[in-house]
Amino acid sequence: MRPLALVFFSCVCLGAKAQTGAPYIHDPSTIAQCDGKYYTYGTGGGGLISDDGWVWHSGAERPGGGAAPDVLRIGDRYLFIYGATGGGLGGGHNGRILTMWNRSLDPHSPDFHFTTPVEVAASDGLEDCDAIDPCLMLDPTTGRLWTTFGTYFGNIRLIELDPATGRRVAGNEELDVAIDCEATDLIYRDGWYYLLGTHGTCCDGVNSTYNIVVGRSRSVTGPYLDNVGRDMRQGGGRMVIAAGDGVCGPGHFGRTVLADGVEVMSCHFEADFDRGGRSVLGLRPLLWKNGWPVAGERFRSGTFEILSERRGYALELAVDFVRLQQERQAWWRIDPDKPVNPVPYQQLSQVADTWPQGAIGVRCGDYMMRPHQHWTIVPVPEAGGCLGGPYCKIVVEGTERALAATATLELTTVPVFNGAPEQLWCIQQLTDGTYRLLPRAIPGKEGVNTTYVLYSVADSTPTLAEWDFGTDNAKWNLKPLPQR
Amino acid sequence: MYLCPVLCLYSRQKLFTLLYMLSLKHNLLTWCTLFVLAPVGRTVMGQNPIVRDQFTADPTARVFNGKVYLYPSHDIPAPAGQRQDWFCMADYHVFSSENLTEWTDHGVIVTQAEVPWGKADGYSMWAPDCVCKDGRYYFYFPDAPRQGRGFAVGVATADQPEGPFTCEPEPIAGVTGIDPCVLVDDDGQAYIYWAGGPMRGARLHADMKHLDGGVQEMQGLPDGFKEGPFAFKHGGHYYLTFPWVRHEGGTETLAYAMSDKPLGPWQFKGIIMKEHPNRCWTNHHSIVEYRGQWLLFYHHNDYSPHFDKLRSAHIDRLFFNADGTIREVVPTLRGVGVNAATQCIEVDRYSSCSTGVTYAYNDSADTFRGWHAVLPQAGSWITYADVDFGNLRQLNTQRALRAKDVGGVYLVANVRAMADAQLVVRQTNAKGRVIARLPIKVQQEGGRHRDMRGQWVTLTAQLESVPEGVGTLCVVAEGAGISVDWLQFKVREPYFSSVAAKAAPATPDSEGFIRRWLVLEPIAKPNPSNTVFTDSYLNEAFATPPFAVDQRSMPKDGQKVKVGGRWLAWHAVESERYNVKLFRFADLLGMQPYGVLFWAATVIMCDEDIPDVRLAAGSNGASKWWLNGEEILLLSGDRRMVRDDGASARVSLRRGRNVLHCAVINGPGMSDFCARFIDKQGKPVVGVRIGEE
Repeated sequence: MRPLALVFFSCVCLGAKAQTGAPYIHDPSTIAQCDGKYYTYGTGGGGLISDDGWVWHSGAERPGGGAAPDVLRIGDRYLFIYGATGGGLGGGHNGRILTMWNRSLDPHSPDFHFTTPVEVAASDGLEDCDAIDPCLMLDPTTGRLWTTFGTYFGNIRLIELDPATGRRVAGNEELDVAIDCEATDLIYRDGWYYLLGTHGTCCDGVNSTYNIVVGRSRSVTGPYLDNVGRDMRQGGGRMVIAAGDGVCGPGHFGRTVLADGVEVMSCHFEADFDRGGRSVLGLRPLLWKNGWPVAGERFRSGTFEILSERRGYALELAVDFVRLQQERQAWWRIDPDKPVNPVPYQQLSQVADTWPQGAIGVRCGDYMMRPHQHWTIVPVPEAGGCLGGPYCKIVVEGTERALAATATLELTTVPVFNGAPEQLWCIQQLTDGTYRLLPRAIPGKEGVNTTYVLYSVADSTPTLAEWDFGTDNAKWNLKPLPQR
Repeated sequence: MYLCPVLCLYSRQKLFTLLYMLSLKHNLLTWCTLFVLAPVGRTVMGQNPIVRDQFTADPTARVFNGKVYLYPSHDIPAPAGQRQDWFCMADYHVFSSENLTEWTDHGVIVTQAEVPWGKADGYSMWAPDCVCKDGRYYFYFPDAPRQGRGFAVGVATADQPEGPFTCEPEPIAGVTGIDPCVLVDDDGQAYIYWAGGPMRGARLHADMKHLDGGVQEMQGLPDGFKEGPFAFKHGGHYYLTFPWVRHEGGTETLAYAMSDKPLGPWQFKGIIMKEHPNRCWTNHHSIVEYRGQWLLFYHHNDYSPHFDKLRSAHIDRLFFNADGTIREVVPTLRGVGVNAATQCIEVDRYSSCSTGVTYAYNDSADTFRGWHAVLPQAGSWITYADVDFGNLRQLNTQRALRAKDVGGVYLVANVRAMADAQLVVRQTNAKGRVIARLPIKVQQEGGRHRDMRGQWVTLTAQLESVPEGVGTLCVVAEGAGISVDWLQFKVREPYFSSVAAKAAPATPDSEGFIRRWLVLEPIAKPNPSNTVFTDSYLNEAFATPPFAVDQRSMPKDGQKVKVGGRWLAWHAVESERYNVKLFRFADLLGMQPYGVLFWAATVIMCDEDIPDVRLAAGSNGASKWWLNGEEILLLSGDRRMVRDDGASARVSLRRGRNVLHCAVINGPGMSDFCARFIDKQGKPVVGVRIGEE
């Protein structure tokens, strides 16, 4: 169900289970980019802006009020779609879906001007539909523009719009594609159309049961079936994301493709437990498993093995391997009744003195549980972030020795992390669950690096190279170290 | 260079008018955005003006192949570099209709750039005509010639009335002027008439592209400016009809003369239509008989109130007297054509109204968004003729649970009020039988209610009566004044069909869903949220049902039980779909659909014991299920209605009669459930009978 109460938020910065800044929003539109900034728009009007995709603040502007907008860049314009309640007296199910254009998302731009909204669909309050909560999908295979809309009040309906005008295609008939969802979204990937809908109850704070489910179809017109073949018109749906990690009530899915194999899903969480149970913007890696979208985990700081997907070798400091001493017995002479003594792990203090003082290179090698193979990755709060994640420093566990990019597109470690951009790393989980690691800057190159990633040029040789999802050389696994 | 021929061609009167128009301040900026249509899926044309997305002037209508084809001029706002205060037309569209209600735009048929002899930027594609002879279509149009001054008249031909048309290389020699009209007489001889100076006519050669003989000036016509001849034949009489300025300084009427010969001499007969009251200077017309009714097509500047050179086509009925003379036509908003009641009815194009009623643009900056009617006070009314109710009376009954309950047809209206009021729709006139009453409460207090004074709202109402056939609607304002944009009658989706008293048992559907149930009228059980439906809550709530019920036995259709002081009845229903929409069940009974508890029961008849099956059910919200008195399934918490959301442990359906009960409780959600039995393989159990034998 959905009580038609609009929720308003003020700006208070607390902890950061979701995004930092003041990311208070309900029903965020799919993340849109304009002149290097990120925008998302919510129910009730207005929206959030971020310079880097990590720190969000209010300031985006959308007139018209109403519920659950979506925004899509088409050519050099942005098409807005939103549902205007208010047809009904006292909160009925008389909804209207409206579209309007803008050449910019930046309220300070001279191009920022909304066209007059145009109605593309409506519900009369009595029929099995509530015409709010629309989405936009431009089908990459046909160039046709589709919208689904509706709530728990009856059916989710599909209509076609003209991508040149944002108006309903003449003669287009509404088609029921699901029941009992809210804030649906359509996406296309690899020959499949996916319909994502929010099930459960919103607007009940930490008791909101909102969750996002998905069905898929070979045709945009459906039927959308879940993983056990259930039609979404019979309530079918496979879970994409539910409560967890200190937040609950995810709703209003949006998909952003940053690069080949790098996808982010946006949603709101009805309640962030660390932020007093407020509704906040959520950004998570979007993973694909057997053709189904699944939300990845928020990146958690910790100490990791950084293992190449290429060979499985561990990233390590290029220092001497220091043998451990062990009291050994020939295996044919082991006395099973004799008590065992655990072998202590190698400690940093045992080897640190053997390491050079200045810059030390890095390489990959067999993981042997040694201090020079253990990396602590923690966000650097003042450094901002990239879409959905903070910039982190990557230091050898127990030290301030930090991984850094060099001007020659190689890697090194500096003895002490000093916040330089080449020592800051954007860590993005990929659609297959592995990660890519990008330095924020390459010394001598202008601007934020979005091209060069940590890369295995040979099994033992990490370097920086252009991103290519097609090779395991560009992918890494972050394996948290167990508590010791 | 370009202006000169226009000024030379036109009479002193028109020049005077031009100067008059120039003296006005025109806000042409309003015409920059012309593209807003009425709401999708709702627009029905058939009222005046008939084309709602572009200007359509000088409408020539012809009947070809059983359809009406409309060949208007296509007024456009002048592009930069052209005179901004004059007629401007660059191409022609053709439209067609079979019912005079829905018009199809077949698109552009001739553009100025493709006229071989025409000026590519002349913007002088004035009033055209199109006739059919021997299966070929001849389109006559004026245009500014590349060489020389004034206007020439060209011909384009096609095999179909909608084209494609091919222009002849040269204009018709001997025709200098505008507004061509062609009459093909019963003997096949064609005549052409035109204006621009004195009204003239001539025989057309059999090839329809050349004059045959001399040009004659039409004799017997009154003094005063005339143009736009339209000649036709009816009842053995020839008619020459034309726009005519009868008073010095006046504007155009439509007038006519008669003769027993195609080229006159003519006997002037009088006025067909008076001058436009708003001083729209021109009028231009055609007259055609379609399906036994004579129609006058003419134009008016509806969408361009401050600039009368952007005009729109109208239609009204035309009648002859016994002696062949024509009765005066009074222009209407309603026009012609029948509206299906289930289509959007733009009542701002009303047929008649009480004193004080007006109509106003929905958006004065974008007049193509249409109008709304303003009924200024309680008691104000408007009528709207020719609404076809088709089979709505039958559907109203069919889609009701019972004849006396809420029907399957309802009214939707887009309305606005400044104070609480009521829109009442009656049959025929302001005292006619009430069809529906639509309360417009704009000042409700408290809660989520907003102040809706002055806001457009779309509201629905049940019908008190359903008219039959084609009739007139009357919209009356009660309580206070209201504004109305449109009305529409809609048919509900089918939810249930009734089950006859001694109906044979049903079977589960192909997926095994049980669709036949006895459902008890809803029991009030307010709950603000579905998360409260915990196992404990449900077990407690259902341990002692709020009425006397034995889950081992079946109630009877119509049987009543007392719940909290109210008598509630059981209803036998067959769901039209796999799930049972309890919410709609309550709605159709006119009862509270939210915050209620539903109880349903059915009988499953088996020829033999069926062991090892499970009940698989989904419900919105929580539910509890009993088979032969034993509780077998509990769906607790905030549930969606999902197919196979939960299943019972393995149970046996016994030979003979099995009774299945369920109780569904909901807070603010839409209650419904679906239920079926599945076997060990998960396949639906279909080989049973549902309902009493």
